[in-house]
Amino acid sequence: MRCGGVCVKMALSRTCSRLWRTCTPVLPRHPALLQAAVRLQSSVRGAPAPALPPVAKTSLSQPPWASAPSPVSLEEEQRQSAAVVAAVNSVICGQDYGRLFAVVHFAGRQWKVTDEDLILVENHIEAECGDCIRLEKVLLVGAQDFTLVGRPLLTKELVHVEATVVEKTESRPKVHMRFTRRKRFQRKKILIQPQTVLRINSVRLAPALT
Amino acid sequence: MVFLTLSCWIRSRGPDRYWKVQEVLKNARHFRGRKNRCYKLAVRMVRRAFVYATKARKLKKRNMRTLWISRIAAASREHGMKYPALMHNLVKSSVQLNRHVISDLAITEPRSFLSLAKLARARQQEGFRAALGDGKEPPGVLSRVAFLQ
Repeated sequence: MRCGGVCVKMALSRTCSRLWRTCTPVLPRHPALLQAAVRLQSSVRGAPAPALPPVAKTSLSQPPWASAPSPVSLEEEQRQSAAVVAAVNSVICGQDYGRLFAVVHFAGRQWKVTDEDLILVENHIEAECGDCIRLEKVLLVGAQDFTLVGRPLLTKELVHVEATVVEKTESRPKVHMRFTRRKRFQRKKILIQPQTVLRINSVRLAPALT
Repeated sequence: MVFLTLSCWIRSRGPDRYWKVQEVLKNARHFRGRKNRCYKLAVRMVRRAFVYATKARKLKKRNMRTLWISRIAAASREHGMKYPALMHNLVKSSVQLNRHVISDLAITEPRSFLSLAKLARARQQEGFRAALGDGKEPPGVLSRVAFLQ
């Protein structure tokens, strides 16, 4: 009796799957029923249910994107980041990092800056020669063994970049000329831009990191 | 003609032709051939040179940006990422470094560039995880992929 029942169910399942593959609109009832039938069989029989027939690998048997890497659990991630932060903190508190470089946003441009650097800015700056200036918009600070990336900026309490205005001059005369042939049109203009030279005195990191 | 004395015969022209000519020729001294000596040829060539310099000042900005982009692309491919992925993920992580500075970091600070690449890769994986979810179809949807898994 039991064998007969199983055979009937197997035949039914085979026909069901064949039917489902041939007709394009997916009928939601059949696969659910099939799975339910398989599960019921295994629970009733106490033996592993017969495996589905081997399926050929088609273009739709796997999703087209690469399989996601095994996700690291949240606790593991937090532990790793805490370890990294602790290591960086110890290096910073020990004050033994050597020369620091910083990426500073100033006068509409971003500059990669270290100690004793000279910067030529094609602008007029409201500061006299010899004035000390603090550059506040710091995007990134790095040393030999670590980098601090701001998102987008680093706090003012963390980084201190100081510069002095060395000279305020004008650029060399540049010629702006326009000319259209055969139309007797030409215009010539001489452009002289104000320039400022800054000397970066120091890039310092405060020994306080959260 | 009624010029009764020599002093009336002589025309007096502009006093500073020599200096005006020199002003043009000094910009042509490094040219090749007769256009560095003869005013008539030099005038035309100097005008062309000034116009080219004016146009090039705009092109320089474009070319520099292309150069930075190709440098960043090469450096990110060394770390197994592509340029669009790197930049897009840096923007999504609200890191506002421009291409000039990132290409300089790739050249002179390789470890900092590596840290930026890792940051971008982590943000990319986070985005993939958020998009893929559990790997299961939403409830009520049945598809061949879910069925066969």
